[in-house]
Amino acid sequence: MSASEVTASTTAAEASAGVVRERAQRGRKALPILVTGVVILALWAITSAFVDTLPSPADTGAELVRMAKDGQLFSIFGRVTAFMGICFAIAAVGGVALGLLIGAHPALDRGLSPYLAALQGMPTSMWIPVAAVVLGTSVFSLGAVVSIGAMPAIMLATRSAVKSVPPLLIRAGRTYGADRGTLMRHVVLPAALPGITTGLELGWSIAFRCLVAGEIFSGALSGSGAISGTGIGSVIARSRETGDLTEMMATIMIVLAFTMLVDRLVFARVHHRLRVSRGLVDAGLPH
Amino acid sequence: MGSPVLLTDVAQQFAGRGPARLALDGVTLSIDAGEFVCVVGPSGCGKSTLLDLVAGHTRPVRGSVVVDGAKVTGPGLDRVMVFQEHALFPWLSVRDNVGFGLKNAGVADAEREATVTEWLSKVGLSDAADLHPHQLSGGMRQRAALARAFAMRPQVLLMDEPFSALDAPSRDRLHVELQDLWQETGTTIIFVTHNVREAVALGSRVVVLSSGPGHIIGEVAVGLQRPRVVESDRVVALAREVRGLLDAADQLGITAPRGGSEDGHVSI
Repeated sequence: MSASEVTASTTAAEASAGVVRERAQRGRKALPILVTGVVILALWAITSAFVDTLPSPADTGAELVRMAKDGQLFSIFGRVTAFMGICFAIAAVGGVALGLLIGAHPALDRGLSPYLAALQGMPTSMWIPVAAVVLGTSVFSLGAVVSIGAMPAIMLATRSAVKSVPPLLIRAGRTYGADRGTLMRHVVLPAALPGITTGLELGWSIAFRCLVAGEIFSGALSGSGAISGTGIGSVIARSRETGDLTEMMATIMIVLAFTMLVDRLVFARVHHRLRVSRGLVDAGLPH
Repeated sequence: MGSPVLLTDVAQQFAGRGPARLALDGVTLSIDAGEFVCVVGPSGCGKSTLLDLVAGHTRPVRGSVVVDGAKVTGPGLDRVMVFQEHALFPWLSVRDNVGFGLKNAGVADAEREATVTEWLSKVGLSDAADLHPHQLSGGMRQRAALARAFAMRPQVLLMDEPFSALDAPSRDRLHVELQDLWQETGTTIIFVTHNVREAVALGSRVVVLSSGPGHIIGEVAVGLQRPRVVESDRVVALAREVRGLLDAADQLGITAPRGGSEDGHVSI
């Protein structure tokens, strides 16, 4: 075996050791999440033993298996993902762009901010009946309310984040030759990114609330034809009529899994990366 | 080689609302190409305003500012500023921070890379190129800021109390390094500070400002051999002379009463 082969195999061994270490680290991070989950399940099981109307975790699990078998689970999951994905993308792009615009123009800010604050304070779901009558009860009507409804929060957060960019960084940007566009893209936007992310998270939760409110009102996402009556809205209506909460609890589990996935895979990661790159996390000593 | 800077009968107001107050009034100052001039004065005497005027961030209400024969009308890459706080972009690596201005100036990738590498090695940050500002010590951050400024090959380097937030050992090292870089590049440097000894240690000439509104009350030429350090006896002796000018002005003006004495303890 030549020297270079030895080096190569050593690096490979080191790399795989690194992978193992990384996996162990991820396992250690996942453990508290699992423990909390098990504790919550246990509390739920105990409560359901005393409360007749509350389905037990086992019943709910069985219902979830049934829903998975007849495709209702994936159908709900898929519809929520697609609907939220599209609506939120529109809200995020529009909200951040308009927020940057307001942040850069004081006159616009003075004129719009009070109204945006009022809109943000008001529950967006109040617009659903208006949209339903004006635009009909289609998916697009609800989509419009959800997208536009999430915008004020994102706009306001972006505007505040832009306004609290340290003036020193803007001066530094100007000194080092940044014109208006460069300053916006390469100084203001990255400096405001942590605040903007918080606004996006807020916008996301507003959008989701609005989605469920819309489902209760019109069941716009409840599907038609073969999958008719399988949406969140129909589930809510059914459980209100029958008083049987098993399907409701199963649906809640699906939605919880969805929001948790989004938080873990998107928001938590983005927050972490932003904090690390700006030195807001104590990385500790390298071991 | 740097450019000459000429301020003629300059007056400038403080920015902001309220009744206009003059920050500077009747300032005439001629700086030769490649000269290292320090400006000292009490806080609020318009030192930073002076730099802003040369940088082109503001325009004077009276008088003119001329750099290299041309009137200053706005910011330009021939004049760059180093701030009291490092003002590095926290989301960029040291390398990208140093390359930021070059990129805006449209310098090609390969040349930019080479220039950045060269200046990082000159300020001793080659090993820290891929770190982010928060991973550096205060002295290293200010060194990165110096590299960012010098990498632009400015005609005039404007320094606004760049070392006043540093610990003494870092500051002393940077004093020597800055003098080396100046001698090597021949850049015109206007260095503003409230630290009289620092001004004497660094400048070929020390311009003394007084406040209310800021005007030049004296100049002291410093002919001592370089590199100088703040503790040297000659620097301390000359600093006392400059201090004397400042104290005399304070007693005439009504601003900033100070319990200073002749023993020099106040001149830190």
